[in-house]
Amino acid sequence: MQYRCMKKEEWDKALEQLLLSYTIFASIENEFGKDYEVIKPVNISRISYNRPKPATPLKSFFLPVKENVTSERAPEQPRIIIGIPNCDIEGLKLLDEFYLDNEFNDIFYRKRREDTLLISSDCFGIQEHCHCLSYNIKPYSTKDTDLAVINLNGTIILRVLSLKGEDFINTIPSAKSLEDKRTIEIIEKEQLSTETLLSASNKGLPDYKKTGELVREAQEGIWKKYSARCVSCGACTTICPTCTCFLLIDKPGFEKVKQLDACQYPGFERVAGGEDALQELQKRFRNRYMCKYVWKPEKFGSLACTGCGRCIESCIGKINKNELFMELSK
Amino acid sequence: MLNDKNIYKPIRAKLTNIIDESPLIKTFVLVPEEEFSFKTGQFIELSVDGIGEAPFTPSSSPLLTKKIEVTVMRTGYVTEYMHMLKQGVYMGIRGPFGRGYPIESFYDKEVLILGGGCGFAPIRSLLYNLKAISDKLRKVTLCYGSKTPEDCIYKPYISELRQTPKFEVFRSVDKADGNWNERVGVVTILLDDVKVDIKNSIAVVCGPPVMMKFGTRKLLSMGYPEHDIYLSMEKNMSCGLGKCGHCMMGKFFVCRDGPVFTYDEIKDQPDIWN
Repeated sequence: MQYRCMKKEEWDKALEQLLLSYTIFASIENEFGKDYEVIKPVNISRISYNRPKPATPLKSFFLPVKENVTSERAPEQPRIIIGIPNCDIEGLKLLDEFYLDNEFNDIFYRKRREDTLLISSDCFGIQEHCHCLSYNIKPYSTKDTDLAVINLNGTIILRVLSLKGEDFINTIPSAKSLEDKRTIEIIEKEQLSTETLLSASNKGLPDYKKTGELVREAQEGIWKKYSARCVSCGACTTICPTCTCFLLIDKPGFEKVKQLDACQYPGFERVAGGEDALQELQKRFRNRYMCKYVWKPEKFGSLACTGCGRCIESCIGKINKNELFMELSK
Repeated sequence: MLNDKNIYKPIRAKLTNIIDESPLIKTFVLVPEEEFSFKTGQFIELSVDGIGEAPFTPSSSPLLTKKIEVTVMRTGYVTEYMHMLKQGVYMGIRGPFGRGYPIESFYDKEVLILGGGCGFAPIRSLLYNLKAISDKLRKVTLCYGSKTPEDCIYKPYISELRQTPKFEVFRSVDKADGNWNERVGVVTILLDDVKVDIKNSIAVVCGPPVMMKFGTRKLLSMGYPEHDIYLSMEKNMSCGLGKCGHCMMGKFFVCRDGPVFTYDEIKDQPDIWN
């Protein structure tokens, strides 16, 4: 694994220079928590490192809530996103499988992916509902991103994880190769301590390999009980890093607007004749679990849940997916 | 290497003729402005400019390349607008999408087709295709049901089919009038009339969900193996690309993995008849 390092002041200066040719988004903490903000010279110093997790899922940079998918686009400035948690990097892999398949690739998604440099950030510490490790996802990236950044007592350390990332870091003269084994050991110790925190916090959650079977075999009573407080608001799907269902809306001139949609909304599967397999709230509620833990794994080979915990945080009915799983695994 | 085609962009097609098939059903004859072809059983997304689009399986022969016919029942928002369209306007076409009928696997067999209502539309396309290769088939039997004699579509085509060697047609209506001299009752009663060598036969079912359900049950009870019953499934296919999620039927995207499935492929998936 290749590491580069520089002083925090040098990194901040480099970012200021990069602002001339990139749009940079980075996670920043404010009074409401932590989320991505557009970076300007004035807020570079406020960028937050090593802390979980921005409120907005990474998918929002690649799948806007609403976009015209038939009109020509003006070229956009390339982007850098800093501070992506590894759970979101895992989620993006599933989005890539979906939107970059050989037969039907989405040229708008693809253009954004090609024009974006991903800099993830190791999570040192956890939030209340973080449970990535229970899905065998580490709280730090070792692949599928371009770089991973760590701020260690005023030193910025970058793990190089792709050729694109290597080419990029080579343009920053102050980024020196990190040979000091002790620093790497400190990082690894921090990573391990986050994993220990996750293991303790995720105690009682089932083995991720068994989640599909548990969901498939779950009795109706479970869905009835947990959907009782669901109001079909769709917050869980909107904020989920892997939910990508959408609707095409027609506009004059045979233009189409693609708008994010969700199986939690009534009428999602209704056909013109009136049949609707997901008419009942309980069925829509179950559908989300079946999709994430049974059908997507059957189709793509991986769960469509990354353990980010955002659906739990966002639920206005206080429905806790992890409580459901603990009950299922009893 | 991924291609640069915009998967969401329709091609324009001129509406050159509109045929009234029944009080609720019209056939639209379209001439696409760009090259367009499909395999029988595949579907397209047909749009009314600025209003919306909906999935339809073309009812014309897949062997015709200059024009395409789509038979539409007035049943919802988009189809309401379609029925108001006048000759000469342009519609939008995306596709073709999905997996059609595996015609080659029908060779040397009898083909038993069970259709209901507007489900005759995809079947007519299939029948055109089967006629073109009839030297490779043993026999084609069509059992078609509709609500009333007035609702029976493709009347001239039925007459033509009845004159075609190797093809036979049985029809039923739920409610007859004085001029009806064929069967009365649900379409599955026609299966009692047909003589079919099940071992050397495959069955195709297309129609409203309730008809598909009872049709499939009857075919199974007649002895058809699950893998020899081909169903053309109806779900809310919105994007046609296996991405938007509206037509998920268990692990399958009906738009991409179907719409034609054998019964054994989907029997364990939830809500297949809804």
